Order: sequence, then structure tokens, then C-alpha cells
Amino acid sequence: MSLDLDKNNICKEEVFDTFFKEQATPLRNYLYFKFGDLDQAEDIVQEAFIKLWNNCSKVVLEKAKSYLYTVAVNKGISMMRHNQVKFKYKNYILGSKSEATQESPEFLMLEKEYHEKLKRAIASLPERQREVYLLSRIEKKTYREIAELSGVSIKAIEKLMHKALVKMRKEIGTA
Amino acid sequence: MLEKLRDDAEGAFLSRWLNNELTPEELAEFEAHPEYKEYKKIIAETDALRIKAYDVDKALQTVKNNNEGTLKQKERKVIPLLATLSVAASIAILVGLFIFNTSKISHDTGFGEQKVVTLPDGSEMILNAKSSAKYDKDWSDNRLVNLDGEAYFKVKKGSKFSVKTANGDVTVLGTQFNVTSQDELFQVVCYEGKVSVSSRKHTEILTRGEAFRRIEAEQEQWNENVEAPSWINNTSSFHSVPISYVLQEIEEQYNLKIKNKPLDNTIIYTGTFPNDNLDVALKTVFSTLDVTYTLSEDKKTLVLK
Repeated sequence: MSLDLDKNNICKEEVFDTFFKEQATPLRNYLYFKFGDLDQAEDIVQEAFIKLWNNCSKVVLEKAKSYLYTVAVNKGISMMRHNQVKFKYKNYILGSKSEATQESPEFLMLEKEYHEKLKRAIASLPERQREVYLLSRIEKKTYREIAELSGVSIKAIEKLMHKALVKMRKEIGTA
Repeated sequence: MLEKLRDDAEGAFLSRWLNNELTPEELAEFEAHPEYKEYKKIIAETDALRIKAYDVDKALQTVKNNNEGTLKQKERKVIPLLATLSVAASIAILVGLFIFNTSKISHDTGFGEQKVVTLPDGSEMILNAKSSAKYDKDWSDNRLVNLDGEAYFKVKKGSKFSVKTANGDVTVLGTQFNVTSQDELFQVVCYEGKVSVSSRKHTEILTRGEAFRRIEAEQEQWNENVEAPSWINNTSSFHSVPISYVLQEIEEQYNLKIKNKPLDNTIIYTGTFPNDNLDVALKTVFSTLDVTYTLSEDKKTLVLK
């Protein structure tokens, strides 16, 4: 039919591809922050997109994102029920790209130690705080976007963010 | 100040700080506080963290392969397989005639067995493992097969052709389609022509490439662009079905008893496994589920951990 319809039809390969490239990374990071395992998150992303593709005729493009997140989160929850995952960060969270620096070896050592403490502190956060903290700081999402994603008020997100930061400081201070 | 920095403080002070929403007085007070530097550093260092790179193109490719590659049929493999199977089928028909000697003909397959059956009107039926089909010897007034399990049909053009199962009925006019009716799972895939599926008072018309499924009360439809069901080529494939059906298929294909089955049927499986290589099949299914297992020496019992 009209071009307009095709543009919104996920059964069209180009539409599906564009949608995948736009959504795969944010979804994968969201699932990682929420459930704590990056490899598992990538598996879930794949399954969710396969399911979307299989049902492409029934899902309009505007609804595709919420469909995708619902499928993925349900999958994550059912996996979590089986093996509670501690937040894993080894090889998943990397420090900033270190360019050749003029810094002294002692300074670099301290930096490394601090990074380790920081990641451990992130891993120690309760699930909801961790999710909000990382979505905000690493994914650069606004409180409003995070609130929409998890279906709670912006106020609730601000509270979680505040709590997360207080806990982070305590963890790092005593570690 | 200290009050505002408690973790249960009203007003989410630190969130407002990050959003640059503090009043100048509040900010000045905070900056003078000994903890300010610590917070500043935590934020600066967190912001510099990166998540491991994600190869989106590769991931997209995997998704596509899973949709097409694993299900795509290799035409050349069909012929020799069908040839050997048709011998087994003609023997089965003879046996059926001797035993029943009535107007009913019945075919049953055992573990890991398939049968090719030529129906009275010349249509072809391929029965998958642990399935059973019954029909009248005389098809002059209606073409009807009663099925329990899974079968693939290539129907000759003619009058109404029906497949009855405990879960629902399928009616067609000259076509190729696959029917699965297993416990609470009812699935029909149309490969050519047009079929009408009725299940629980609900009727659906499927055309080429369309599939219908009901698991208990949940119903869905999707497109399956393959030439024939994968089990014809000795591969079992699943589209997000509860894990119990996958385990049942393993038991039926390999004559295995699986012990310690997971009770939680919310685990959904998408994937394939070969029907002619037990080791590969077990590895394929259970490594993706992250389940370890031991196979008894006689290969009859599989214990999951």
C-alpha cells in the first residue's frame, strides 16, 4: 500500500534493522543494570528481538519498544528466579580510555584502586538503586526517562538516586 | 546540611544537586561541606566508566540467522530420507491391516521414529516420533484423519480434507501443512495453499507461510517462511515454547526418561536440536539453559541438575 505504512511495518527488513540498531544497545545496558549479567542481557536482547520479528505483523512500530522491553524484562525475571545473580562487573565495566599519561606510577596505582572500590560500591547497591544510578550516569538518561521506563514517579527516581549516592560514598569511604 | 545528606532525607538533595537545581545558598553550603569532594569524585569517576562494547551488527546477524538459517530447509536432504522411510511406512500399513482388519487404519510411531504414509486418496502424511494417526479405509465420502502428536501433510486436491485432534480441527483444500497436538499445545503451520483451523470455538484461516498456535488459553499467530517443518530433516525446532514441550520432544525423539525436570514452566525456549545425535542435542538444549546433566550408561535416563 502506501509508503507511509511500509515505513512503520516492522516486518519490513529495513525497518526492523533500523529499529534493532537504535534499540539493541540501550536495551542490553538496561537489562545489564537491572539483572547484573551482561552476557545474559545480550542473550535476552536476541530472544526479545526474535520474538518481535515472529510477531511483527501484530506489533506496530510505535508499540514495538514497549513490547520489546516487556518481553525482555519478563524473560529476565524468569531467569533471575532460577539463579540470583550478583552484579557482575569484571570485564563488563571498563575505566575511561587511559591515554599515555605523565602521571606517576603511584598516582596510577591509586587511581586503579579507586576504580576497583567504585565498581565494588556499584555492585553493592540494591537492585533498584543500581539500575537508576547507572541509567542516569552511564546511559545519561533523565529522571523522567527512567521514571517512564520503570513505571514509577519522577520523585521516586530522585529518591532512589539520592539514596544510591549516599550509599556509594559510605561504601567507598569504608572499603 | 548533615540532615540533608542522610540517606532517608526528604527532598532528594543529591538528586537535585546533580540536576543543578540547588539554590545558590544551598550549593555554597554544600561545597563547603567535607563530603562534597567525595561526592564530586564519585560522580566524575562514574561518568568516565564505559560498558563493554556491543557488536550490534553481529547481534543483528545472529537474530536473523536464528529466524531463517536454523529453520531453512535443505531440499536435497529430503529425498533419500523419504525413500528409506516409505519402506517403513508400507510395512506399517500391512501390519495395520492385519491387526485391525476393520475399516479403520491406524499408524503409530515409536521413540525417534518417523513414518511416511500414503493416505487412501493419494495424499501424503509424515508422522513424527511418538505420534498416532487413525482414519477410515474408505475415503469416498470424507477425508478425515484423527491425530495425536505431530504430522506433516501434503494433501491432493479434492473434497474437504480434515485433521481432528483433541485440541482442535484443521480443514483444507489441497495444501501442505504441519499439525502438532501435544497435551495442551496445538500448533498448525501452513506451507502451501489455504487451511482453516478451528480450536476452542475459534476459527482462523491460514495461508502459505502462516502459523497458528495455542498453548493452554494463550493464542498466537506468526509467519514461518520455510518450505517444510524442520523435523522432516531430522531437526526439532521451537519458537518460544514452554520448556516442558522441549523436554518432552527430547524424550520422544531419543526414548529417554528425563528426571528432575524443572518445575517452572515459565522458562521459554527458542532454538533447534538434531534428532539423530543425542550428544549434540543435549549439549545444544542444556547449555543454553545453563543446566548440567548426567546420562546413564544405557542412554535411557537423563538426570538434570
